[in-house]
Amino acid sequence: MDLALLIEAAAKILIILGFVLLGVPLIVWLERKVIGHMQDRIGPERVGPFGLLQTIADGIKLFFKEDLIPSQVDKAVFFIAPGIAVVTAFVAMTVVPFGDSVTVFGRTVPLHVTDINIAILFVLGATSMGVYSIVLGGWASNSKYPLLGGLRSSAQMISYEIAQGISIVPIVMMTGSLSLVEIVKHQQTTWFVVPQFFAFLIYILCGIAETNRAPFDLPEAETELVAGFHTEYSSMKFALYFLAEYANMMVVSAVAITLFFGGWHGPVLPPVVWFLIKMFLFLFFYIWLRATFPRLRYDQLMGFGWKVLLPASLLNLAVTAVVLTLGMS
Amino acid sequence: MLESALFGLFALIAIGSALAMIFHRNPVHCALFLVTVLLSLSGIFVMLNAQFIAALQVIVYAGAIMVLFLFVVMLLNVKGETPLLSRGTAKSFGFLFALIVLVELMWVVLSPGTEEAPTPPQLPPGFGSPGEIGRILYTTWLFPFEVTSILLLIAVVGAVVLARRKFA
Repeated sequence: MDLALLIEAAAKILIILGFVLLGVPLIVWLERKVIGHMQDRIGPERVGPFGLLQTIADGIKLFFKEDLIPSQVDKAVFFIAPGIAVVTAFVAMTVVPFGDSVTVFGRTVPLHVTDINIAILFVLGATSMGVYSIVLGGWASNSKYPLLGGLRSSAQMISYEIAQGISIVPIVMMTGSLSLVEIVKHQQTTWFVVPQFFAFLIYILCGIAETNRAPFDLPEAETELVAGFHTEYSSMKFALYFLAEYANMMVVSAVAITLFFGGWHGPVLPPVVWFLIKMFLFLFFYIWLRATFPRLRYDQLMGFGWKVLLPASLLNLAVTAVVLTLGMS
Repeated sequence: MLESALFGLFALIAIGSALAMIFHRNPVHCALFLVTVLLSLSGIFVMLNAQFIAALQVIVYAGAIMVLFLFVVMLLNVKGETPLLSRGTAKSFGFLFALIVLVELMWVVLSPGTEEAPTPPQLPPGFGSPGEIGRILYTTWLFPFEVTSILLLIAVVGAVVLARRKFA
């Protein structure tokens, strides 16, 4: 293998790692700040300018906290579970195209780690493996609340995965490709959110449920389940779950941008900047939702997934198929 | 070189986890080892130029079916193994199946084969790509495909009927 190619791949992987690891504290800060202002508070402001270093300080604090391991846990699984959460979130990021190719030292470098012809399935696979972190974390803790939280979330995530997968199919039908790079290229003139608005709506609702965010944050409903699956986790293991949750938000946003909002396409500004702007808007939307809606009841959540989102996504698929066939003939 | 190294790695993980799955007593650990087997098999599928099958392997088997397995194990709170058969019966069944496998293997090994190894067939363009698999499914293998879909439909209807029945 070419040495330059190897260096290029390593550099891109490091950039993705750094992007997510630096992005997460920023999002946490943004969330606390935005929700603070929405609730007529100030939010963090003491550490660093505008309280920007607050989450870094919290992270360092978590590092030095005692790592409590309850005596009845299944040690091996208890250790592995948070790792799965982080790894699956990072792996999904590798197929997202952040921009067009750029020229560095006379080499044309495309701005994505890898362009595989099944990129969408790769993302779906990574997120479906992410369920394990929660199920196993809940089971290994060997305690009532985590077990219930783990059970709930596994049911929730499997249910919403189905509707999410089907909501993506119309996009694949319109482009004829599963590669995210190809899909972005097809959106040069019109973003897919225009013809496929319902698909986008279903996708983003499922995405919120997949990442366990309000109003679908049932697995960690503190009023009934203490902290859900991560009740027994402390110190860095808890921090890993926390990191994974926000990294997954970034993945869902990045995929939504790529599939429905033209990826890095945009006028005047460079592609990467456009991607980041869109990502910021999506994350703001996430935070906005959390500050606005109360949590759903568990039966409402499952009913909504199976009786509303799944039929809606199937209907959308059928309509798209008919329209595409009529358009071709 | 790299390819055979990767194949060896995936094969070792698959066989090791399969053995661990059989010998472990804890049902959740067994399920986890089965997941590792499925994941390493998906790695081997990628090396065979079948990325689509590899992705399906991860999404369907590892991502959905095994999660449901775990779900049931957790829901029923299965602690250890509950033997279905008495030890003696299990042992005699074991011997029976081992004998069958032995005979089958001897058959294959001892049967006269061609001297030269068959040349690997030239892969047609687009082999293993989702588009090509879809085309074949809807042309050459249409009948089995439709039969499978009817079978799945029956299973879905059956599940709904069973779930709706009131066990008074």
